[in-house]
Amino acid sequence: MSARDLHGPGAPWGPGEPGAKSNQEFVTVGKPHRKVDGIAKATGAAIYADDITLPGMLHAKTLRSPHPHAKIRRIDTSKARALKGVHAVITGESMPIKYGVIPWTPDENALAVDKVRFIGDPVAAVAAIDEDTANAALKLIEVEYELLHTFLDPRESLVRAEPAIHEGRKEGNISKSVQLEFGQVDEALASADVVVEDDYFFHGSTHAPIEPHCAVATYSPDGVLTLWSATQITHYVHRALSRVLELPAHRIRVIQPCLGGAFGGKSDPFSLEFCVAKLAMLTGRAVKMLWTREEVFYAHRGRHPMQLHYRSGATKDGKLTGVDAKILIDGGSYSSFGLVTTYYSGQLLTGPYHFPTYRFDSTRVFTNKPPCGPKRGHGSVQPRFAFEVQLDQLAEKLALDPIEIRRRNFQGDFTRTVNGQRVTSNGFLQCLDEVERASRWRERRGKLGFGRGLGVAGSMYISGTNYPVYPNEMPQAGIQLKVDRSGLVTVFTGGNDIGQGSNSMCAYIVSEELGIPIERIRVVAADTDLCPVDLGAYSSRVTFMVGNATIDACRKLREQLVAAVAEKWGCAPTRVRLLEGLAIDLEDTSRSMTSVEAFHLAETKFDTLGATGSYNTPKLGGDYRGGTIGASPAYSFTAHVVDASVDVETGRITVHDVWVAHDCGRALNPMIVAGQMEGSAYMGIAEALFEEHDVNRFGLHRGPSLLDYRLPTSLDTPEFRARIVESIDPEGPYGAKEAGEGPLHPSLPALSNAVYDAVGIRLKHLPFTPAKVLAALREKRERESVATAQGAR
Amino acid sequence: MLRLPKFELCTPHTVAEAVKLLAECPGAMLVAGGTDLVPNMKHELFTPPRLVSLANVRELRGICTRDDGSLVIGAMTSLADVAASDLVRAHAPALAQACSLIAGPQLRTMGTLGGNVLLDTRCQWYNQTYFWRQALGFCMKKDGEVCHVVKGGKNCVAAASNDSAPTLMTLGAMLDLVGPSGPRSVPIDEFWVADGIYNKQLAKDELLVSIRVPKPPAGHRGAYGKLRDRGSIDFPLLGVAVRLDLDASGAVEHVDIVVTALAAQPKRITKVLELLRGTRPGTPQFDESVAQAAALAHKQCKPLANIPGDADYRREMVPVYVKRTLHAAARGEGPVHHV
Amino acid sequence: MRRMGEYRLEVNGDTHEVSAPDHWTLLEVLRYRLGLTGSKQGCDKGDCGACTVLVDGRPVLSCLSLARASEGRAITTIEGLMPAHLRAGGKGADPVQEAFDRCGALQCGFCQPGMILSARALLNRCPAPSREQMRDALSGNLCRCTGYTQIFEAVESAVATSLGLTPAPRSWEAPPVAKEARP
Repeated sequence: MSARDLHGPGAPWGPGEPGAKSNQEFVTVGKPHRKVDGIAKATGAAIYADDITLPGMLHAKTLRSPHPHAKIRRIDTSKARALKGVHAVITGESMPIKYGVIPWTPDENALAVDKVRFIGDPVAAVAAIDEDTANAALKLIEVEYELLHTFLDPRESLVRAEPAIHEGRKEGNISKSVQLEFGQVDEALASADVVVEDDYFFHGSTHAPIEPHCAVATYSPDGVLTLWSATQITHYVHRALSRVLELPAHRIRVIQPCLGGAFGGKSDPFSLEFCVAKLAMLTGRAVKMLWTREEVFYAHRGRHPMQLHYRSGATKDGKLTGVDAKILIDGGSYSSFGLVTTYYSGQLLTGPYHFPTYRFDSTRVFTNKPPCGPKRGHGSVQPRFAFEVQLDQLAEKLALDPIEIRRRNFQGDFTRTVNGQRVTSNGFLQCLDEVERASRWRERRGKLGFGRGLGVAGSMYISGTNYPVYPNEMPQAGIQLKVDRSGLVTVFTGGNDIGQGSNSMCAYIVSEELGIPIERIRVVAADTDLCPVDLGAYSSRVTFMVGNATIDACRKLREQLVAAVAEKWGCAPTRVRLLEGLAIDLEDTSRSMTSVEAFHLAETKFDTLGATGSYNTPKLGGDYRGGTIGASPAYSFTAHVVDASVDVETGRITVHDVWVAHDCGRALNPMIVAGQMEGSAYMGIAEALFEEHDVNRFGLHRGPSLLDYRLPTSLDTPEFRARIVESIDPEGPYGAKEAGEGPLHPSLPALSNAVYDAVGIRLKHLPFTPAKVLAALREKRERESVATAQGAR
Repeated sequence: MLRLPKFELCTPHTVAEAVKLLAECPGAMLVAGGTDLVPNMKHELFTPPRLVSLANVRELRGICTRDDGSLVIGAMTSLADVAASDLVRAHAPALAQACSLIAGPQLRTMGTLGGNVLLDTRCQWYNQTYFWRQALGFCMKKDGEVCHVVKGGKNCVAAASNDSAPTLMTLGAMLDLVGPSGPRSVPIDEFWVADGIYNKQLAKDELLVSIRVPKPPAGHRGAYGKLRDRGSIDFPLLGVAVRLDLDASGAVEHVDIVVTALAAQPKRITKVLELLRGTRPGTPQFDESVAQAAALAHKQCKPLANIPGDADYRREMVPVYVKRTLHAAARGEGPVHHV
Repeated sequence: MRRMGEYRLEVNGDTHEVSAPDHWTLLEVLRYRLGLTGSKQGCDKGDCGACTVLVDGRPVLSCLSLARASEGRAITTIEGLMPAHLRAGGKGADPVQEAFDRCGALQCGFCQPGMILSARALLNRCPAPSREQMRDALSGNLCRCTGYTQIFEAVESAVATSLGLTPAPRSWEAPPVAKEARP
């Protein structure tokens, strides 16, 4: 039996089932335990990619395109090769096979072949005895370019196909276009009592994990390539290396060391991974490449800028009748996850509110800018911003309280969305109640005086998706357990711990299931030689999928342990309970043995102990093309209330408090869940007020540094007040769902809505710079003075 | 990692030694805290063959008062120490406030007052890596010919971004310099030139020894206002230094307002004394005069799109920050900062 | 007389003979010569604080410090805190490290060596700082994961522990809001 068979009401942790437990009945789950790697990180002992130094290691650097769009006429690397200390120089022709994280859109090369598509596109790489020599060699490489027309405005890419940024595509410079309609939207809007139609703009932003990308490779004399990389998708990197290097996958080992943050920014295979691998193969030496912060900005894969047009209708009592969206997505220079982004921009909006009818028309285009990709809340933060602001506009027209209009449209739990997605547990109403109560919304909203206000917004997000990036029927998550005679249990997981705590989550589950303390569990993760396949840390899939796989493996092992103990005691296995490092007899509590003794008994009886577990999603999704994209085994729900004030002289917005209520199903560790909620809300507020990832008129990044790309400091960050809502999902591990991405979404619209409450301006174009605030205030004053003048007349 | 270009490092223990080491090697540069020069060198804006570090020159550190009541601050005194000094806070409150808002905590510990006074001018087209500037085609301040701020511009308009300088101008500070031909002193007002490429009258072989602030009158008030995006780390988008001396009766006797981060050198707002002289803080007349001074400042300041941030917005903030900083000075408060 | 490029650095109480070119920063020497990789490189040039070390007890950025100009100073890296605590008769990690671990302040952990050193320096000069003082003292250390909340809570917890007090409850510590799934 595998975890996939445990779905539905029969799940042993489902409510009303024999295995159902309240939080108090768990031993490990639901408690604020430390992380398995916490103290290693606190003491500086944790090893990140750039902390690896290998004997004889060479250092590699990348030559990048100074032009946004150009053909490469000629590359001459001879002078660089001749420089003392240089061991190898590679260019596009060294690795001509294209790749892409989505198998349908392989349009990237490790190093540019024939043309470059943005300023920063990698062109050549050098391995040398040290970084200084590698840098000197880069300056000796001669590249002749033929400049091409540069596309910086996505509207131009929409209508102009030549010159094609990617040649040989019949769609010209359109990367992906999706039109889907559910029900008769035009009729529904025509019959609505009120309709709001408006434009919104979401700017670009980037992940900016504090750790820059870094990769180290070795190629052993017996032909095994080992890559250590700061990646959040070991398995996809493994596949991509095999494809591009034309090396059988069994001769490649990919390891993710401790990772210094990712947020989606390390979920594509990147140029440096192929380059160090190739350079290691060519030189027979270990090779490291550490990107500078500037290079991380060029690698990007951040949030797509979107121009969004929404039209929503509602009845007099505030019930939505239909929503119509048209979205233009600026994809930058490559596809990355763009196919999925385009679907997500429409598919993920259909909760927590009931949409009777819905239509979206989303088009992603290529431009000559750093490529966009998945950033925390992939593809859905932008439409969520637009729609939640529009919902407040509807509420205003109907003179409804913004929380009330959200309540009235609540879709309910165990339902199906208009686009055919199955929704299971849904604690959104509790989230709304919680932020309403905690923020003292009823006493305070609209009553804080001019300049200060409260705003609300809601959202939903996926807990993994049943779309496995490359089509296959194999498990999406696998786990292996190994038992040592010392009592130590080692968990092998392909899951990528990117700081969210997934390794700790595995340990908590093993502790709970096998009744052993956390310190007797070791987690070995994200090493393709040692660990079973997991698809990686993206789409908020890890807790749900890896957690379920861990439970699956543990229960198989537990069955053996219990059987061995029961045989020894001559009792029924149902009487044996594993708890706190012991096996105990539930009917004769004087009888017990240590778990170590139980392990020995089981090993004697069954041979070497071990177990595997896996998870795969049930069949999900709407019955139409693209209907599985955005289909998740469970959805998380969030509500925020933001308390903000506006300095009307300077236009500066100050956020005081953000109340974040999030339905994570069950909090396996409430402290970690709260950390994800606070960090998500922080990132949303940061995007709303401070951060902007864009290029200037030359197509050059406007400021590729952590000085000019302004991450909020501790002085710029509001107080976050996390409140956890537990809906206990029937299919999540012990009822858990995601917590790492959903709580970002409402930050931006809730802030816009708070500013409206504070000073009566509707901020629809991100980011909310002081200059924009002042402009909106001026416009409002002018509008009001015109209205006053007309009234006087 | 972004690497420093190669250089030879000298670590003298005396000023005399430092001056000699600087003079004997053409192109050599001094480094104090390194918080401006080191990133600039990583950007290959400077590639000196030799760096003369002043880290071990003890005589350049410290804060004291002289018999004439003037305050002397060694050029190597850290910004954190200047900001925290009771002497400076009492004697030159605007300077202490400005130093407390420079960059972030670690940079204030490393950075020195001398280094901040001598900060290289800044521009969004200049403070970038070699690769970035090369992709741009460079600019006239370094390696290129053209200005990207002013189309067809003949002069570099990179912005003076040193928070301390405008406060020192309002305080009438003197800079004590030493070079191979001996020491000299120059009023900080006369130190600047309107050239973003190199905006100071400091010879390449000269060293800033100390900053001298004359004893202010008993009724001296001072404040500093700083506009920036974040509450820490960032350079100013606008800086406003205010001096307000009150006479024994509490009426304004002297006013000085110097703004910075607009153009290549700090800029004094003229004709404000006429507006404010004789007014008493707390009275409607004072408030009205402050409003007029703010309007005057707006008229006199026309920031360019040299540093990141919306130039129109920075201009719009000039009167707001002038007004707020004047009021803060009058109340004996400040700094004016958004956090 | 020592040759050029050779000098002594006092790190975590030990004196190291270092051989490195003059243009190497303190961060590069710590990480790649002395193997003290706990100090992190995040931004290359003084914007993020991940490379923070204590020099004579005060937090500075090692990525902007010239290694050889740091000769004669007492340098403390993240690796030095726990041994110093043990030498002083304490148990386990430094109380600040311990509090960061206990309070969940470590997500990816990459900014935290610098953050912890800034926090350690703050507590050394101000044993019971207010949250505003913490915000100020930590404002040169960018964290991308936590939103700073659990970092403040960790520092507050370290203070409370040192004073024998119980830290204030955290917002999520109230019982979770139950929402039973439909039977």
